[in-house]
Amino acid sequence: MNYILHLLIMIGIYLILSYGLNLVVGFGGLLSLCQAVFYGIGAYASTLLMMKTGISFVPAIFISMVITGLFALIVGVPALRFRGDSFVLVTLGLQMIVFTILYNWVDFTRGPYGIPGIPRPVIAGYKFSALHDYLLLVAVFLVIIIGILFIIYKSPFGLAVKALRDDEMAAEGLGKSPVHLFLYAFVISGMVASLSGGLYATYVTYIDPTSFTLDESIFILAILLVGGTGNRIGPFIGTVFMILLPEALRFLGLPDTVAPNVRQMIYGLTLIVLMFFRPQGIAGEYKVQ
Amino acid sequence: MTLLLQLLLNAIVNASVYSLLAVGFGLVYRSMRFFHIAYGAVYIIASYAVIYGMDSIGIPLYLSLGAGLLIGVLAGIAMDRAVYLPLERRGASTAVLFIASLGLYILIVNFIALMFGNEVKILSRGMEPSFQMGSFVITRMQGIQFLTGWIFVIVFWLIIRKNTFMKGIWAMGETPALVMALGLPYRAMRTAVFMLSSVFAGTASILTALDVGIDPHVGMQALLTGAVAVIVGGVDVFWGWIAGALILAILQSIAVWQFSARWNDLITFGILIAVLLFRPQGLFSPRKRREER
Amino acid sequence: MDGLKIKKVSKHINGLKLIDNVTASFLPGRITALIGPNGAGKTTLFHLITGELFADTGDITYKESNITALPPYKVARNGVGRLFQDVRVFENLSVFDNVASACYDYQSETPWFPFLKANKMRALNKKISEKVAFYLDFVGLSDMKESPAHSLSYGQQKLLAIARLLAGGYSLLLLDEPTSGLNPVMIKKVLGLLERIVNEKKNKTIILVEHDMGVVTEVADWVYFMNEGRIAFFGRTDHVLGDKEVREIYLGL
Repeated sequence: MNYILHLLIMIGIYLILSYGLNLVVGFGGLLSLCQAVFYGIGAYASTLLMMKTGISFVPAIFISMVITGLFALIVGVPALRFRGDSFVLVTLGLQMIVFTILYNWVDFTRGPYGIPGIPRPVIAGYKFSALHDYLLLVAVFLVIIIGILFIIYKSPFGLAVKALRDDEMAAEGLGKSPVHLFLYAFVISGMVASLSGGLYATYVTYIDPTSFTLDESIFILAILLVGGTGNRIGPFIGTVFMILLPEALRFLGLPDTVAPNVRQMIYGLTLIVLMFFRPQGIAGEYKVQ
Repeated sequence: MTLLLQLLLNAIVNASVYSLLAVGFGLVYRSMRFFHIAYGAVYIIASYAVIYGMDSIGIPLYLSLGAGLLIGVLAGIAMDRAVYLPLERRGASTAVLFIASLGLYILIVNFIALMFGNEVKILSRGMEPSFQMGSFVITRMQGIQFLTGWIFVIVFWLIIRKNTFMKGIWAMGETPALVMALGLPYRAMRTAVFMLSSVFAGTASILTALDVGIDPHVGMQALLTGAVAVIVGGVDVFWGWIAGALILAILQSIAVWQFSARWNDLITFGILIAVLLFRPQGLFSPRKRREER
Repeated sequence: MDGLKIKKVSKHINGLKLIDNVTASFLPGRITALIGPNGAGKTTLFHLITGELFADTGDITYKESNITALPPYKVARNGVGRLFQDVRVFENLSVFDNVASACYDYQSETPWFPFLKANKMRALNKKISEKVAFYLDFVGLSDMKESPAHSLSYGQQKLLAIARLLAGGYSLLLLDEPTSGLNPVMIKKVLGLLERIVNEKKNKTIILVEHDMGVVTEVADWVYFMNEGRIAFFGRTDHVLGDKEVREIYLGL
């Protein structure tokens, strides 16, 4: 039972991550390899805020989202001058650089030693320590964030971003500014990822940089590529598939030593097969151009 | 001063390996214009083939090295035939190829990890003999890397300049339609590109594996080093790739001296981003990026 | 002057002079054609007007505003709309969404608009819904409003692009070969649309790039003839098309 709760919590955290990234990859048509950067900054910022200044969970999350948003704004302005391959490279570079900093700036982040003993959230006096409590917490945040994101997806802003994705020149000819619109999408996506980071940190109560590597960014991107992007159902399917698949393997009796590698092999194979037969992902609206 | 020169010497040795990585990657990127992420997989295939040959079959080292390179080449060509070429035939965009390549990389690397384990494996045993050259020290392995790397690069360059076939490969990246219009053997040229790319990757891999060993996850590092060198130097300039490799190696050496090797990635990707921001066509590329705004 | 004024504009790329000291005026309430052989610089001129390219020298003003150095999205916000030669519909969006995308003003296209101005958005959505239905009807694509744009035929996509342009309410319309690639039935339809536009809204300035002289004679009152980056001739349609030099260079007669 605890195991199932754990799975649901992880699915919840990754749903938030992928619905956020959907705005950049699916709506914006920009492949990004740095979602783990914002995930990590969110985790570290909220953790350090809670543990060093003693503020409680909700304000810590909120402030860390603002910090991450500002960071996304600063790196987004130069990064979003690029498209296609170059954009991927810039996000890749950002991912590697931020990871190196998180890993090596030991004075600030404790680097590879990680930060243990992260307190479970306390909201209005109630401590969310039990697993089912935590699931409830994640579920509430999930509903709020997805609710907000769905409104954004459907809004004139969402439409404008999709127009830019489909044909930037034509969209500009309609008065849409790629500079502003892509930046909004990028910052929102980063802030949402940051929330996930805070939830993750207080869930596992220990963080170190190895949770926020290039592999992680690739995983989150793969969720969208597999499930589909640009719409509301794709990220859900992708997240459920990518997270439950390893569990299915375990169920089939695959020994724990080989399971991680086999799981990755299946992810890899899935990507290849999809590119052949369904480049828009299982349930996506948008074919990667 | 001596320390600085020693670091420079180390850098030039490292650059020889980086150059191999750059040329291998650049060949595919330049002639086919997509990101061959699975290059990182080819890299480790070669060394692991050598390990398999030596440990499991018992073939002596030198034969194993040859076999390893061969397997690497076959793997590279197979990737093209099985995945890239069919996808291109279906009109796949470079982004689709990128993702398929990523899938290939993940699939292969984890397969190898499954077969051989995740830990580092070293190819040769025992201490490396080192030589004293004045006040500088160089190990035998470094010497081999230096010679192999630079010889490969120079020989390759001499061949591209003269050989029409190779010039055709270079032109492929510029105007692929022209290649077909001129009746040049497209498939054969693709095969040649992947063959050469894999030879360079495999050689770099073996040279490194003999020195510090190999594990299934260093492929990404190798790919990224090659890719950054190419992009920093300029995709369209062969010697730019080499220059890019040198710049990376030298800056990393200096970083090791001033700070520590832990910050290497910061250097590598910092340079990448700086170049993309201020001179996106590459440092040594004369052509300005296609216009406006 | 309420129209488009191009004054002494030049543009080189890599030493090649694409536009050579061009001066031209395009007045509202009429359709002015821009003709010339391939490579004469017509599309380049459009690029310069819309901001895809920046002029090396000279000024471009529209309705007395200087739009010379503005980026494309700002030029569009000044009332300049463009129909592209290669259509450029939003392939993954529905026919409805394609036209709707032209209707929202940039202030409504922000992430906070639906939250801070929920009521305004609801009203806006409703109004735009009606507007889109109107223009889809105008071009005859109402049945296809839910279909993704990539499923339309070339001719239908062209009509969609026209509907999108019209829905945007631009006062300066740059039409780049609106009839190319269309069969005669479609061409007649498009011409009908063009005539309707010009008859219904007297304040619109329309510039038409065309290779089909039949179309030009039918809808355009005035013609600029461009050759090798320069304006070689200007005047009333029958006058320009009847000119000996024009016929030699362009019409091959």
